[in-house]
Amino acid sequence: MARNEAGLEAAQAAVQSLIAAKLRFLVLMTIIFMVGYIGLTVIAGFAKGLMGVKIVGPLNLGFALIAFNYALSWVLALVYERIANRIFDPLASRAAASSRRSAP
Amino acid sequence: MSITLVIFAVILLISLGITYWAARRTATTSDFYAADGRLTAAQNGFALAGDWCSAAAFLGFTGLTALYGMDGAFYALGPLVAFCTVLFLVAEPLRNTGRYTLGDVIRSRMQTRGSLLAAITGTVVVNFAYLMPQMAGAGVLVRLLTGISYDWAEIFVGISMIVYVAFGGMLATTWVQIVKAVLMLGAGAIILVMALLLVNFNPLSFFAEAEAKYGANYLLPGNYLKNPFDQISLGLGYVLGLAGLPHVMTRFYTVPDAKAARRSVVWVMFLAGAFFAATTLFGLAAANFVGQDAIRAADKGGNLTLPLLAQYLGGGKGSFGGELMLGFVAAVAVATILAVVSALTLSTSSTIAHDFYVNWVKGGRVEGRHEVWIARATAVVIGLLAIALGILAQGVNVAVLVILAICVAASANFPVLILSLFWRRFNTGGVIGGMTAGLVSSVVLAMIGPAMRGSEALWPLVNPTIVSMPLGFLGAAVGSLLAGRDLENEKRFDAFLLQVHTGVAPE
Repeated sequence: MARNEAGLEAAQAAVQSLIAAKLRFLVLMTIIFMVGYIGLTVIAGFAKGLMGVKIVGPLNLGFALIAFNYALSWVLALVYERIANRIFDPLASRAAASSRRSAP
Repeated sequence: MSITLVIFAVILLISLGITYWAARRTATTSDFYAADGRLTAAQNGFALAGDWCSAAAFLGFTGLTALYGMDGAFYALGPLVAFCTVLFLVAEPLRNTGRYTLGDVIRSRMQTRGSLLAAITGTVVVNFAYLMPQMAGAGVLVRLLTGISYDWAEIFVGISMIVYVAFGGMLATTWVQIVKAVLMLGAGAIILVMALLLVNFNPLSFFAEAEAKYGANYLLPGNYLKNPFDQISLGLGYVLGLAGLPHVMTRFYTVPDAKAARRSVVWVMFLAGAFFAATTLFGLAAANFVGQDAIRAADKGGNLTLPLLAQYLGGGKGSFGGELMLGFVAAVAVATILAVVSALTLSTSSTIAHDFYVNWVKGGRVEGRHEVWIARATAVVIGLLAIALGILAQGVNVAVLVILAICVAASANFPVLILSLFWRRFNTGGVIGGMTAGLVSSVVLAMIGPAMRGSEALWPLVNPTIVSMPLGFLGAAVGSLLAGRDLENEKRFDAFLLQVHTGVAPE
């Protein structure tokens, strides 16, 4: 029984370190895409003129920012997958393993 | 139009073949609701793309861009960005904590009947709000594209989806979605290459030509969404609402584990995202080549823009290539609708059969084999109801329902889901409070807004998410605090958290 309790505590500690790792990356990544996208809608709503500034030839800032948001989403998705595979998954299997050891 | 019918008949035969094949592999509840969790990430990624790209995406985004310029591009971007929310916060926890439905997730966290009923309500309301405009759109489109009458189009679409879902369950629905996604992406790739050929592979000339033809204002925001807060509200609705759409989220139960769920999101982001980006170019190309007047003449809302562009690229009206391309795109549009309404029917029958009948009414005491037959029968009933509602919806303004679906998903389902997964103090009172506040505020504001009442609106925004979503969260917080602390639930939360992050279920 005592060993199970210890195992359970180890599992919970492992979950807590997994959550800490997730927070470290995901808070920032969520802020990035929310600011990038919602920021774009705010500019579109309130600074229409700014969106019309030409960037490259006939391409204006608005469409350039839209293109940037596509690229940003794709890059964030790949970065997330890489972080999840390398950092989150090992922590998750450690938590899962200690919880299985604690099972009676 | 006969080319459309021929191509569509081929797609239909393939779908029925798939259903026959899937029906022989669908015996258990896990088969029926979740394809036994045995799909690969790539398969699920294609199916997600088929699921998430409704006719509104396939035809609507191109039309909006052609007629209104940049606002159409905003409509197309949101559905991709929305998957960031799903990827970071929702997909893996859903896979880890649920089996077949959103109701499963809430039930395993709260273990109360009240919270389960709230989850069922959110699922059914969102699904029907989504299903009805899809059915109405199906009737109009099939009539426009093939010449069949509206009522017969409803019956035809409805019976097809009933057959797919009732016989083939999730496996047939999935493969119908995969076939549709492949066709949609194929059609998109062909149109993109043909359109780019005309401008020597320099997409910037689409912009230059559009500006020369329609003026600089065409390439600015605000031509479709006049109120700045509507822009923001639409964006919020997308990025938070997708995670609250049950028919898309149940797709994560069809893969074996969280890692595959994650990988399938990355797949859909590239597949659907590339298609969404292309619709912006299609819209500009259509405005240049086909012209806004011809687009409006074919359909006021611009829904026939993509078929018309395909016809132009194929060689124009009357040419064999033109009619072939038009027929192909039209047939893919019908396949698109079928894939989406099938997913909605499956998701609704899952929640009625599994969450409501088996878990709420019977307390889980139903034999698996029996449950499958209940789910099949429910699918038939839901399908017939959808046909009836679709026929009744003819000529009725269903625009408000489209907004409602995504708004309720973002304002009621999303807060309840996210707080269930991550907030220790969240309890049954919070589930009921959040669901009620999000649902009621969405419905009331949409009903008194411009989508329903036009110029006599009592409230200025078409999409109320910017107000109703915070109200949903507020209702969830207030409900939790008013209900008092549920110490049993908070004690179980550590075990639940382990399950959220690792998939290891307690006991």
